[in-house]
Order: sequence, then structure tokens, then C-alpha cells
Amino acid sequence: MRWLAAAFDWQSRAVVERHLRVHMRNWYTAFLPPALEPVTSLLAFGLGLGSYVGVLAWHGREVPYLSFIAAGILAYTTFMTAMFQSLYAAFIRMHFQKTWEGQLTTQVELRHVIWGEVLWAALLTTIYVSIVAAVLTVCRLLGILQISLAWLPAMLPVLFVAACAFSAIGLLFTALIPTIDHMNLPIFLFVLPLALFSGTYFPLEHPVARALNAINPVYHLSEGLRGVLVGGGAAVHLLAATALSALLLAILVPLDMRLLSRRVLGE
Amino acid sequence: MTPLLEARHLVKSLGGRRVVDGVDLQCHRGEVLGLLGPNGAGKTTTLRMLYGFLRPDEGSISFDGIDAGADLTRVKRHLGVCTQDDTFDGDFTVEQNLRIVARYFRPSIPRLEPRVHELLDRFGLRPYAAMRPEALSGGFKRRLMIARALVHTPRLLFLDEPTTGLDPQARMAVWDLVDGLRAEGLGIVLTTHYMDEAERLSDALTVLAQGRVVAHGSPKVVLGDALGEHVVVVATAAAEAAGVGAWLARQGLDTAVGVLGEWHLPLRAETLADFARTFPGLRYEVRAPTLDDLFLKLAVA
Repeated sequence: MRWLAAAFDWQSRAVVERHLRVHMRNWYTAFLPPALEPVTSLLAFGLGLGSYVGVLAWHGREVPYLSFIAAGILAYTTFMTAMFQSLYAAFIRMHFQKTWEGQLTTQVELRHVIWGEVLWAALLTTIYVSIVAAVLTVCRLLGILQISLAWLPAMLPVLFVAACAFSAIGLLFTALIPTIDHMNLPIFLFVLPLALFSGTYFPLEHPVARALNAINPVYHLSEGLRGVLVGGGAAVHLLAATALSALLLAILVPLDMRLLSRRVLGE
Repeated sequence: MTPLLEARHLVKSLGGRRVVDGVDLQCHRGEVLGLLGPNGAGKTTTLRMLYGFLRPDEGSISFDGIDAGADLTRVKRHLGVCTQDDTFDGDFTVEQNLRIVARYFRPSIPRLEPRVHELLDRFGLRPYAAMRPEALSGGFKRRLMIARALVHTPRLLFLDEPTTGLDPQARMAVWDLVDGLRAEGLGIVLTTHYMDEAERLSDALTVLAQGRVVAHGSPKVVLGDALGEHVVVVATAAAEAAGVGAWLARQGLDTAVGVLGEWHLPLRAETLADFARTFPGLRYEVRAPTLDDLFLKLAVA
């Protein structure tokens, strides 16, 4: 369990602190995407597409499309933010900037660098999701959305754990892809399909899709958040999202450590 | 006296190849240990094991008597590392680089602010403190790398080819810094491809070839052991060239290095006497061996 203990070492926190400092230097541009993306999504999918769709049938209930996608935006933000941080940003730090190598000449070891990346991606994701939630709150106050946000803060730990798992997936690709030009492969073959076909922007009723989504944490996150926002069975999905995320972390973080050790240290 | 750094029988295989094969070395306080060898000799892998980047497959490394295998984090608190590539943090300015690297050490550095300012002044980085490292010249990038390696006041410093790619003036500036650090009692392990640098800076040399130590000691001892006392320079176009070639083969010296139409033949005193008797009419020059000769001999071998 040494791999897990490293998450709580001071070196992992030092790595997170470093990333946070870099990010906060340009906070005004860094926080634009989470503030504007939900607005764009609500306008494009909600007000645009939503005006044609009107209401959707969701678990035997009628739900306004705008309210339906509010939870989807939160799940999408969680997945995409964590993935992009551990794909592009981590790859650039590892390969081009040599930030990892610099850190490894100190008391920081590779397991701390990896946990630092995972925890940083999860922290940034939680901040982004909070900003998205603030935008949704404004929309709720303006009467655009009919959702309940009272329990959303309690969801943040679940989102944090899920973001850790998504980041661990991203690091797996970072360990495997040979060059940054190959980044399109995981993005278009895995990340985007998973982000869009997980009940985020439309319900998936096909039996095959439902069967596949039984083991899809993004789907469970999306459905769980929807249950919290519009009312319905949230607990089962949130538990499933948490359990699947924990399982992914237990499998992927040690695997990331092994693969990145080979890539970064040559071992 | 306990050596500051002691490595015993280090072995490391990478990609199925034994890159380091039973290396022993020591470095003491106030000593510069030069680690030399041709490309592929295992210098960088050895160095990477010494500063904890790689774990040895076999053997042990201790710092001031502390086993690095048992408590690497504690040992690394006392090590400063200047890698061959620039690994400063490009997201921060020169001054911020010194501060950010300090956060990767515990116990925390006491009086960090004065330490940062001291290093900026000492390494001539003050005028560039607010600049990004990418904007610095090669020489000042190296200075920043060394300053970064010293923020936490280590007791042992690793310099992996610290002057590669620098102009002569910048190289000499780095030499001065290294000399000053040695005078302060720091142990320094240095790798370099520049033999004049190794000769000038090193108190002791460990020479590697094919992952093994082939010579160790002061530069003079190493040269004497590995090459002999003299180097005979003979034109390869000389009339007796064929005879010299045959003589070399008989002496087991057929790995002699030809450079720009000349053979540079490292010979021991008795072999030189035999050479002089064998070729009484041959014109040749006799000079003292240098590390360049050693380097070339190892590379050819």
C-alpha cells in the first residue's frame, strides 16, 4: 500500500502547491473556461436545442431539457477537466518542460509526482465544478433552470474522488502515447465518446448502452447528479460512481507508476 | 574518516543490458570526484543511482554512513543535483525557481529569503531575477541550475556535464564556482567530456568503461596506471610505419589511436626504451600523457 500512502506525503502536496501557484498566476484566464463553457452549453444545447426538445422522459418523469443537461454539464466538466489536465498538461510537464525531472532531483519521488498530478487535477476539477455550479445557481435565480442546488456542495467529495480516477486514466495515456501528436487517439477514440455517451446531454435507453454504462463512472456521476438536481434516485448512482472510481484508482495508479517509471526513469 | 559518499558494487541493467557492472566509488568532504568515460560507459546511470533517481539492482550507496536504500528521503535532503539537461521550472522566474525548489525539501530551509538573495548575488543572477529562465544565455542557465541545486545547502553536489555547450568564458566561470564550493567543504561528483576540465577540477578520478571502473585515483595516478608515463607521437606516413605497426601488434598495443596522420602511443618507460632501440632512425616526439589520451584509448577499446 506504499503507492496509496504516497498520496498523503508532504512531497505530493508540494507538487500540488506548485501547480496551484502556476495556475493562480493567470487565474483570470484560467477560470474563464469553467465560467463560460456551461453558459455556452446552456445556450447551445439548452435554449437552442432545448427549444425543440422541450421536455424529456427521464425514469418515467418529464424533465425540462435545460434541467436535464445541468447535471450533464457538471459530470462533463468533471470528466473533461481531469482528463485534459492529466493528458495535455501532465504530458507537457513531463516531456517538454522537464518539470518532473527537476522535481525528481529533490526529495520528491516519482510516486509523489504522480499523486501530485492526480490530486492537482482533482482539485482543479473541484474548483471548476464549483464555478459551473455558481453559474447554474445564477441561472436558477433568473428562473432559467428548475433545479435544486441545496445538496450540490455535499457532492463535491464524490466529484473529487471521481476526478482522481479520471486523472489516473489520463495519466495512463500520458504514459503510453509516444508523442503529443498521438494525443488525438485517446481524445477522439476514448475521451469524447465517453464524455458524450454517458447520459450527459441526452438519455441513453438502448439496452447495449445501458449495459455498458453499468460500469461507466461518468454515466453514474451524471445520473447521480441529475437525481440530486431534479429529484430521483441519486444514492445508488453516486455510490456506484464512488465505488467504480475507487476501483479505477486502485488499479490505475499502481499501473501508472509502473509505466511512468519505465518512461521517465528508464526502468 | 567516513566518506561523504560511498558506493559499493553498484549494478544496474536497463533494457536488458547491464549498463553498470559492479562500480565502487567514494567521495569525501571538500573533494571533487571526476567520473569519466566514453559515451555508453555508464556515467550518467551511475550518477543517477548515486543521487537517487534510479535504484541499483545490486550494491549499496551510503551518505555519511546513512544507507540510501533504507532512508532515501533523509539522504536526499543533503544532496544537490545539477542535471545534464536544463530542468529548471519554466513556469517561474529565475528568483521564483529558487523558491519553488526549496519547497521540495524537508526539514524546510531555515532563512530561505536571505539564502535566495545570497545565491542570486553569488551566481550573478541578480539582474535576471525577474526573467524567465528561457531568456538567459547558456552560461547563466547553467548558473541557475547550479544555484537551484544549492538552495537547501546540500553537503554533496552532483554536476552532470555542467559546462557542455558553453563558451570558454562561461566554462571558466562555472569552474570558479565549483572551485569555491569545494573550498567551502562540499563534496562534488562531476561528470564531463572535457578532459581539461576533469584534470583541472578533480582531486580524484574514477574512470568507467563498459560499466566498470577501469582506473581510480588522482589524475596522475590514473594516467600512470592506465596509460604509462609517456606518449610517443609518430607520423603514420613515416617510412618505418609498417614496422611500427608490427611492433605495436607484438606489444599488444594495436589499439593505438591515430589522430590526423599521427599515432599517439601511450608507453611505459621500459616499452619506450624498447621502442627507441627498435627504431633508432625514426623521428618522433615524446610527451606526457593527458586525459585526452586516456579517453581516446577507452573509446577505441
